[in-house]
Order: sequence, then C-alpha cells, then structure tokens
Amino acid sequence: MCGIVGLHLKNAELYPRLGELLVPMLDCMASRGPDSAGVALHDGHAMHVVKDVGPPVEICVRNGIAERGGFQGIGHTRMATESAVTTQHSHPFAPTPDMAVVHNGSFSNHATVRRRLARHGIGCTTDNDTEVASRFIGHQVAGGADLADALRMVLKELDGFFTLLVTTGTQFAVLRDSFACKPAVIAETDDYVAVASEYHALAGLPGIGDARVFEPVPEEVYAWTR
Amino acid sequence: MDPVILDCTQLSTREINAALGGLPDGAAARVMAPWGRHNLAVGLDNRITVRIEGNAGYFIGGLCAGPDVVVDGFVGWSVAENLMRGTVRVRGNASECAGASAHGGTLIVEGDASSRAGISLKGGTVLVAGDVGHMSGFMAQAGILLVGGDAGQALGDSLYETVIYVGGSIASLGSDARVEDLTDDDVLTVKRLADRAGFEHIDPGNVTRVASARELYHFDALAGQRY
Repeated sequence: MCGIVGLHLKNAELYPRLGELLVPMLDCMASRGPDSAGVALHDGHAMHVVKDVGPPVEICVRNGIAERGGFQGIGHTRMATESAVTTQHSHPFAPTPDMAVVHNGSFSNHATVRRRLARHGIGCTTDNDTEVASRFIGHQVAGGADLADALRMVLKELDGFFTLLVTTGTQFAVLRDSFACKPAVIAETDDYVAVASEYHALAGLPGIGDARVFEPVPEEVYAWTR
Repeated sequence: MDPVILDCTQLSTREINAALGGLPDGAAARVMAPWGRHNLAVGLDNRITVRIEGNAGYFIGGLCAGPDVVVDGFVGWSVAENLMRGTVRVRGNASECAGASAHGGTLIVEGDASSRAGISLKGGTVLVAGDVGHMSGFMAQAGILLVGGDAGQALGDSLYETVIYVGGSIASLGSDARVEDLTDDDVLTVKRLADRAGFEHIDPGNVTRVASARELYHFDALAGQRY
C-alpha cells in the first residue's frame, strides 16, 4: 500500500508552519503504511531528510518535525512489499542533495534499470525499487533534463505501478502510471498545492473547503515551481 | 420524525454504520463532518434516507440493499461498490471504480467520475452527468452505464452485456467494444434514466450506444482455435 503526502507552499506566511501542517497529513496516512515513515523538507537553502522505522507520528515527534519550517515538504508512510523494513529502505530517497522522491507502488524492472545505472557509474545503497527510480530521475536531471522531462522518462524506462511525488530545490512534481492504479488527490489554493494518497489527509488544511480538488490523470506530469 | 444526526467527529465509522443499520424503515439520518471518512453507510438493508453532509472517502454506500444515500460533496474510490438495491447520489465528483460490481440499484454522479467507472457492473445502473475516465465499463456484465459527458480511453474493454450510452465524445473503445445503432428502445431507456437522474443536458436521441461485439465473449474452443 504506502501513503504519500506533499505540501508546496505558495504563500510565504505559511512557511513557518510547514511541519505543523505536514505532520497531521502524514499521521493520517499511517493506516496505509505503519512500518516506517519519513519526510523531506526544503527550507530554501537546503533539503533535510528524516526517516526511521516505526509509527509515523512517533518519528515526527522524536525529530521535532512539526516545529520545522520551509517552503515545501513531502512525506511517506511505508507498508513494505518488496524489500526489508529498515531506515535505509524507507522513503524519501534523496538521489542528489536537493532532490527527494516518495513512491506508492512497485517497479517490476528495477533490477534491469539498476544494472543500466551501474554502467553509468551510479550505484544504489539498497535493494529497494524506489531507490532505483529516484536515482534514475536524479541521473536524468543531472544530465540536463527538466524535472518534468525526467519523470516522462520514467514512463518509458520503468515498468510498474506508481504514484511518484518528487521535490527539488525549486520544484514539486507528481506523476501517476499509465493505469493510475495507485491513488492520488491534489488540492490547490492560492496559498498552497497539497497532495495525498487519500483526501482525508488533506481535510485539515486551512481553506481546504475552497480548494480546487482533483485527481491527477495517468501519464501526465503535474509540476509547480517556486 | 426529525432526522437522526450522526457526527463523524464524535463517532467511529462502525458506530455510525451500526446506528444507521438500526433505524426503522422510513427514518432519515444526517451524517455530519465526514471529511473524507471511508466506509460510511455501507451494508445497510433498511429503507432509510441517509444524507452525508460533506466530502467522503472510499466505499460510500457500498453493499447496500435498500437505502437512499445522498452525498453533498465528492467521494473517493468505489462509491456504491456491490450495490444491491436503493440509490446513491453524489452531488460532486466520484473517484475511481464508481459503482464497481453493482448488482442492482442506481448510482447517480452529478459531477464527473474517474477511471474504471462501472467496472464489472453486474446489473446495476450507473448514471454520470459529466465525464468518465479510462477503462470505464471494463468487463461489465449486465446493467447500464450512462455518461452525459465524454468517456476516456478504452471504454467498455472486454465488455459482456452491459450497454453503455455516451452523450459526448469517446477517447477510444476497448477490446471487443463497438458502437451500435441507437434503437427506439435505447432512446426511451436513456430518456427514462436521464429524467430520473435530473440530467437535462442529455439528448436521448443523440447519444452513442456502445456494446459488446462478443468476439471475446467466451472461450470458443470449437471455432477453429481462433482467438
């Protein structure tokens, strides 16, 4: 299963509240992923990744996530299906210092892509499928691709089910596979873009009643830039 | 009798469904502050009316055989899944798999429905005012899917005996689905259903009928091994 959440703030007045808004969203998705959890927060200068094994809310409390600010963040609650439950195997994966990837789904040809990446000198530190996808996306961007183009390359090179949520130092992007088997809901207001696996994770956000709420359609990259 | 008020902020989903299931026929209930809660008003077989006042989550009105459920908002995946009798009306949009495997009853979506609307329909009626997403009507076996707007890719893939009517455009037909001539009976059927749902924008004489070509219908091992 797994749950993903993300918040891209447009209104700078909300920046100090990033963690405070993101933690309840992550906690709400604990039912989709009780094994482990993590977040990546962008404060405009650097990206901070915190991940661990255990209930999402405990990880957030232990690391003071609710007290942290920033202009965007993503989070993941993991129900492991294809590799071990360890901190290293949990999401987000950070293929480069300013890129974070969370994923709901599974990739079936990750071993093949892992070998291709190895031929370019890119190694993975775990046997996790999402790490391969994240390094693939990082490799595309390092080669000069725009994030949206890099995600379109995922559709060509990686086989499987996915809702992917990716952040960089400036961008926030969502992509679902061709069949859109894994859920995703986006809510957009003048103040923020919020993404979650299920709507109830968004229901506590300020102004959600007036947000434009929609499902990303298959194979279309949705991207926002700071 | 005043409607029974059930507040999602005070009650668990199980408590709400137990309270709904215990109401006598003819009773009315209002479910407040659903905020995306899953599994509301499921498995009910009493003839009550349930009004869910806000956006709700997955499986709303599923497995019901009797009540009339209205959602004043949008719903998540699989609204009215395996519906047996009664109606579920969604004032907003519905997410994926709306009306999946419904055996009877009627699902009315006043907005759009997402992908796989009416998947594996088994005799129920699914009426969508707006658009439906990809693979709607997949392997639908019986019943009717009426789409007031446009249909996405692979409409009616591997269709059995469900008939699909589309008021707008069809992005593509799935395997073994074909467009057929509209008969007078079809026009009457669409008019009856559109009137019932209150879909005034549908012109019953100007919809596209999609049904099974029956080439994949069964595994015909005696027909020269042609598959």
